Amino acid sequence: MNDSLPRATLLTRVMLAAALVLSAFPIYWMFVIATRGNDVVGQVPPPLLPGGDLGDNLERLWATKDANFLLGLTNSAIVASTVTVSVVLLSSLAGFAFAKLRFRGRNPLLVLVLLTMAVPLQQMGIIPLYIMMVKLGWAGELKAVILPFLVNAFGVFFMRQYVEQAIPDELIEAARVDGCSTLRIYWSIVFPALRPAIAVLGLLTFMQTWNEFIWPMVVLTPSNPTVQLSLSALNGAHFQDYTLVFTGTALSTVPLIVIFVLFGRQIVGGIMEGAVK
Amino acid sequence: MKLSRKTAALAAVLAGVLAAGSACGADDDGGSGRITLVVDTFGSFGYEELFTQYEKDNPGVKIEHRNEKEHEKVYVPKLLQYLEAGSGAGDVVALEEGILTSLRGQADRFVDLADHGGAALESDFIKWKWDLGKSVDGSSLMALGTDVGSLALCYRTDLFAKAGLPTDRAEVGRLWPTWADYVATGERFQAKVSGTRFVDGPAALFNAILSQEAPKHGNYTYFDTSENYVADKNPAVKTAFDLVNSLKAKNLSSGLKSFTPEWQTGFKKDSFATMACPAWMLGVIKENSGDAYADKWDVAAVPGGGGNWGGSYLAVPKQSKHPEEAAELAKFLTGPQSQIAAFKAVNALPTSPQALADPQVAQAVNGYFNDAPVGEIFAAGASSLQPVRLGVKNVEVRTVFEDVLIAIGQGKLTPAEGWTKAVEDGRDKAE
Amino acid sequence: MKQNRPLARAVTWFDLKAAPYVLISPYFLLFAVFGLFPLGFTVWVSLHDWELAGDRAWLGFTNYTELLVDADFWNAVVNTLGMFVLATIPQLLLALVLANALNKRMRFRLLYRLGVLVPMVTSIVAVAVVFGQLFARDHGAFNWLLGTDGLDWQADKLTSWTAISVMVDWRWTGYNALIYLAAMQAIPRDLYEAAAIDGASPRRQFWRITVPMLRPAIIFTALTSTIGGLSLFTEPVMFAQGDVGGGSLGQFQTVAMYMYESAFRDRDYGYASAVAWMLFLLILLVSLVSFLFTRRIGGTK
Repeated sequence: MNDSLPRATLLTRVMLAAALVLSAFPIYWMFVIATRGNDVVGQVPPPLLPGGDLGDNLERLWATKDANFLLGLTNSAIVASTVTVSVVLLSSLAGFAFAKLRFRGRNPLLVLVLLTMAVPLQQMGIIPLYIMMVKLGWAGELKAVILPFLVNAFGVFFMRQYVEQAIPDELIEAARVDGCSTLRIYWSIVFPALRPAIAVLGLLTFMQTWNEFIWPMVVLTPSNPTVQLSLSALNGAHFQDYTLVFTGTALSTVPLIVIFVLFGRQIVGGIMEGAVK
Repeated sequence: MKLSRKTAALAAVLAGVLAAGSACGADDDGGSGRITLVVDTFGSFGYEELFTQYEKDNPGVKIEHRNEKEHEKVYVPKLLQYLEAGSGAGDVVALEEGILTSLRGQADRFVDLADHGGAALESDFIKWKWDLGKSVDGSSLMALGTDVGSLALCYRTDLFAKAGLPTDRAEVGRLWPTWADYVATGERFQAKVSGTRFVDGPAALFNAILSQEAPKHGNYTYFDTSENYVADKNPAVKTAFDLVNSLKAKNLSSGLKSFTPEWQTGFKKDSFATMACPAWMLGVIKENSGDAYADKWDVAAVPGGGGNWGGSYLAVPKQSKHPEEAAELAKFLTGPQSQIAAFKAVNALPTSPQALADPQVAQAVNGYFNDAPVGEIFAAGASSLQPVRLGVKNVEVRTVFEDVLIAIGQGKLTPAEGWTKAVEDGRDKAE
Repeated sequence: MKQNRPLARAVTWFDLKAAPYVLISPYFLLFAVFGLFPLGFTVWVSLHDWELAGDRAWLGFTNYTELLVDADFWNAVVNTLGMFVLATIPQLLLALVLANALNKRMRFRLLYRLGVLVPMVTSIVAVAVVFGQLFARDHGAFNWLLGTDGLDWQADKLTSWTAISVMVDWRWTGYNALIYLAAMQAIPRDLYEAAAIDGASPRRQFWRITVPMLRPAIIFTALTSTIGGLSLFTEPVMFAQGDVGGGSLGQFQTVAMYMYESAFRDRDYGYASAVAWMLFLLILLVSLVSFLFTRRIGGTK
């Protein structure tokens, strides 16, 4: 089918090349500044080539105690992994039920899930959740930024769509005839078949959680930050040290770039997959 | 078999993650018996070496320092949020005079330092500094003083030379006995130099002039002694407002907002040649400018003859888990010897009579600022400084006025519109 | 395998009837606690003068009536809508053009797709740090490129909105382009072949076939952009160095920022909750408008 597409014209190629440059430049530039000294601040035109100060900048980053950068990285890794495992697991369970099991109220409940996708919980829930966390004494602790994100409607919906088309009903019927319980069907048939969807949902969830900012800013303190809070502390705590801020920013992006390089193909596939429906 | 291995693997991942999660969040180093004290400061307090020394002298204490450069819009709201939530604040928190004033009615949120041997320290502080550290009803010693913002004016000698102006600090001081003379000097400067503006921005100057004008008009600013909102009636406010705007109208101001990145970059880009300098500002200038600008800044007398910008305090919130140790640390940091150390580090002018009299302060010269005799300039008059009376909501109203001044600088409001807006928005905040 | 014993039958019955509920219950339980409850609680808080320490006073609808005459709130509404329009329309158009370009026969297809998506890996904080530097008044790269020396991007509504929209669009255009691309690939080729035989130019084919066929994807992206755009927060906050006031006169303060300011700066949780509900209503309203608007895309019914 791809062969029937028209060939890319020169104009198209130039345009795409321009888009690539525009997309990549700010990220590239972030890394460039991270390797330069503070003498480049405010330099016009801005420096475009890396320098040799990365080691020095990293050293200063570790030495900047107010930012708690290492703790921020660790905390973000913990929060993002926990949330990812939970979202993937609970979404696939619910998605499986919605796609393949018969039960009373299935459709209304599914509509309810869809409706909750439209509510901007990030904004709507921030005040009551904060009051709640303060009352529970959880403000400042990691569980305050983990618990509210353990499930999300998008995940359930995404998994339902995938299970629906990836697993034939006959397979499940056959397993039932063999005496498999529902949970067993999930483990031995559904879960393995979901691997591509799990990869995509997991990666997207991880990236999103890693980049979460508002809620951690409200409920955590700079003493026990996520990496985004460390960044914002780095930006705010100190006298103008651009290269330091850029080094932190670049470093906080490295894990996601690694993920992107390793799994970019699946992420692209997943976004396009989810969109067709 | 296959199934169970997968289950086991997943369970292991989950267990690992949960274990890692539960290992976190504890603020003390487990069994070592070492406690961590968190110290919250803003701007520049010059405590780094004191912390190292304190940790060495008190092996049971580890200090975590959290600094935030922006005061009104970032540091204060977060601190108030933590106080209200009952958790999150440092064990020792720095309070600027304005915010302390608004908290003096909430003594129940702070440890009474008199319970921790604080009362004996009265003679270590200038009287008014000591008195302001007590709660409104005088029953509780809420905070101990750190510094006082005695006023001077900082200027760039190299840029003054370029403009054909004198560079010697005594001669420069004679250029501007009044603020009108200061503006006139600015016009002379600007006629010769382009690319650099005469002054950094409106906010610092406005606060400096206001703190000078206030004593002439009942010694208060936005609120009178009965807490009535009088920003529209107090001539001190209007005088300061108009003076700052006249600098803008004559195109003498860089229009930068203090403590923003562009303001900070401005130090390295020669964006401005003078700025109002409360004592602690010297530390800020040095940190922002870096070694390349050593000896390019100098300190002269401020127009209008001296003034008290205010200063800061340290307090221990009740929510601290280690109030005893935190109080000890606060006492240490505000003691005469520590005040001398902070003065040496960032020119935070002491509020302890002993420290002020100490030759290390009184006869100090600042190497970075052309060996300016900072002891003489700042310390000499410090004992006679009087505090301006501030209202409970002064920080909120001050923020409104600063924002409006920035907007006028951006050309978004005329001075007249700005005045009306500042007065009315300030009234909203005051209520 | 027959199961005759009552116990086994009961287990099977339980497995068939109850298991589905067990599987979906974690989602609904967690959602109830961390989603639904906060939503309802917001209503309750918004009807009070609420203090974190525990003091509260019943106010009824006072917070809402005050909000309706609050000039700062309406300023935030105007800013939010302005930035939404300024960011979303170019973003979706650009995504459409980009998707069309990607939907061609060429080498390195995956590279291009990855390339347009790469901004997504950066956090908004990082984006704001980098773009804040590029948009600096003095010595900023954009002012240097455009020759607008000394232009203060934060000073003016239009310039600050533009700067913030650029940050938003840089991050999301590629993502939307991929969604369009996926939908384009689902369009049957024979539609184009038929049109080509009728002599329709590629441009005409694009507007007459591609765009109408993309309608569901366009509606989807318009709705997600509406929800995201109207709850805009991090970009403008970081643009103002952590200040939720949005510039000297609030020229780029969004409704979400105003809500945050009311709650965590003025510590007026009741009022802030009322703002949250107004924001929700605004999102519903604009989503409806976006939906009705995008549904008409492509002319035909």
